Amino acid sequence: MNWKVMMAIFQKEMLELLRDRRTMISMVVVPLFAMPAIFGVMGKFIQSREKEASGEAMIVGVDASRAGAAAAALRAAGFELRSESGLRAAVENKAVAAGVEADAAAGGMRYRILVDRTRQASAIAGEKIRAVLEKLKDDTVRSSLHGSGVPESVLTPFSVDTVNVASQKKMGGFLLGSSLGYLVILLMFTGAMYPAVDTAAGEKERRTLEALLCSPAPRNAIVLGKVLACATASFLTALLAMASMVYSYRHTPFAAVLGADMRLDLLDPSTFGLVVLSVLPIAMLAASLMVAVSLFAKSYKEGQSYLTPLLMVVVFPAVLGMLPGTELTPALALIPIFNVCQIVKEIFLGSFSTAAFAVAFAANLTYASVAFFAATRIFRTESVLFRV
Amino acid sequence: MIQATGLVKRFADRKRGAVVALDGVSFEARGGEIFGLLGPNGAGKTTMLRVLATILRPTGGTATIGGADVVREPERVRGLIGFTSGDMGQYGRLTPRESLEFFARLNGLEGARLKSRVGEVMDRFGISEYAAAKIDKLSTGMKQKVAIARTVVHDPPVLILDEPSSGLDVPSARMIEEFIVSAKKSGKCVLLSTHIMEEAEYLCDRIGVVNHGKLMAVGTMEELRQSTGKQRLREVFLALLGLSPNGQEATA
Repeated sequence: MNWKVMMAIFQKEMLELLRDRRTMISMVVVPLFAMPAIFGVMGKFIQSREKEASGEAMIVGVDASRAGAAAAALRAAGFELRSESGLRAAVENKAVAAGVEADAAAGGMRYRILVDRTRQASAIAGEKIRAVLEKLKDDTVRSSLHGSGVPESVLTPFSVDTVNVASQKKMGGFLLGSSLGYLVILLMFTGAMYPAVDTAAGEKERRTLEALLCSPAPRNAIVLGKVLACATASFLTALLAMASMVYSYRHTPFAAVLGADMRLDLLDPSTFGLVVLSVLPIAMLAASLMVAVSLFAKSYKEGQSYLTPLLMVVVFPAVLGMLPGTELTPALALIPIFNVCQIVKEIFLGSFSTAAFAVAFAANLTYASVAFFAATRIFRTESVLFRV
Repeated sequence: MIQATGLVKRFADRKRGAVVALDGVSFEARGGEIFGLLGPNGAGKTTMLRVLATILRPTGGTATIGGADVVREPERVRGLIGFTSGDMGQYGRLTPRESLEFFARLNGLEGARLKSRVGEVMDRFGISEYAAAKIDKLSTGMKQKVAIARTVVHDPPVLILDEPSSGLDVPSARMIEEFIVSAKKSGKCVLLSTHIMEEAEYLCDRIGVVNHGKLMAVGTMEELRQSTGKQRLREVFLALLGLSPNGQEATA
């Protein structure tokens, strides 16, 4: 390998990529600006929807002639009561968030709460009405016991509490780590896509490849220079996206939606270092695969259409890695993409196995090397380079 | 400098089947000589130049450049040649200086030697004044100057030029002619493929006529005139291809 020539090619590719508007948009603008904007708008939207839903949830339909004490309790709890004759229809037609039907039964009154679970406001109203009616039931029992000499404590002979022993960091890892691994992998592949098309199919389209081929640069140095440039772009995209996500989770209206348990501490140096180390071979794998495939295309457009199915192939193991309940065994650590999603999740949970990490790292490095040698071989194939 | 012996190149084409692009081509071109290649479209000229530039591997035969074999020592061959063609593109997002420095580095130049050589070729081709502009923003003539400067930035002893003046205006084409003549005077071996008869007649010391992958004839203008009995190169060319002056197959 001629390292000086390889470096010359890498620097030229980087210079070209940094001056390409499409690459800059996918590598810098989308992760840095679009993500906080998307999360911000999403957070605002969710907040306003929740606010709207809670307001709407306070409008309840009742059968006024029978509701009696329940109606009084609901009114005291702040509900706006509407007397409706057809309660079921009123809930279905969104005239009220929920309805309360009352029947005099042999053992006392029987209340039925009518809700439409496909509507957030209706579900919230249902929960709130149930809480008011439960309290009414307890108050009724208490007043019956009053004066009978039986202490109130017979109503609650013992209490049950569930305590979450998981740390806040572990909770964050559990709730967000799995989706973060999927997002990072996806962003790494999309981040390598434009540079790979530009550096391989783009060179063919712009007719600059021939000048490069008749220079004394060894073919493997040319391919490595190009692959490294794409891997750098892929890695930068992922890094900027992660930084942008941390910012979005903390400083946009989305933070309020997530709540304290889900704030991910990505800036913890050991977590960050391990995540970066685990995704490094994936950057090389993504770049080598995409350069290899893109070499078959004769134009930028054709290159994009060849690489889009590859993105779909990548999504499948990434989604599997996102599923809860999956754990990384040394055998599963051999499955590319899936293994990194799992590793990222386990790093955030703070419970990753060093053996599985080593197997996954070595396996991904091997796959990246195989993909690189395939790209070099394709780059030596005349029928591919001079496809008309 | 260039020695080709029985060069053969076959392609497997999905539409046309097996294609013989070069069918046993042999010739020699020396230092201080301009060797012209003439032939109709699809005759095999570009394939021949690509084989000599080691971009394509010959199916049969041998070729050496400056004593280096195109199959066994391709990287050494590429260090000895400067190759350009009329439809070769350029790195439009780079400036002429960046492009020249890049190709100089690929050819092993570095440090002060690289800077001085790049400065030298930029001065020689009048590129210095727009050295910092993006190549995409330059006119066709300016781009062609940068392409020629790129071809000679490492001062190769052999130049392989594939229709270098195609599509250029008269002043730009004239610049190319002057460059070719000065390369010859400095002892370089120039292999020139062209469609322009006037250019071939004016520049070339010897001309090889190619058709259907075969070298039909090689000689000086005078030798070709004598062998065909024609005066103008165009007539000589058509006669060697077996075509009448109106381009039809000759019947006699």
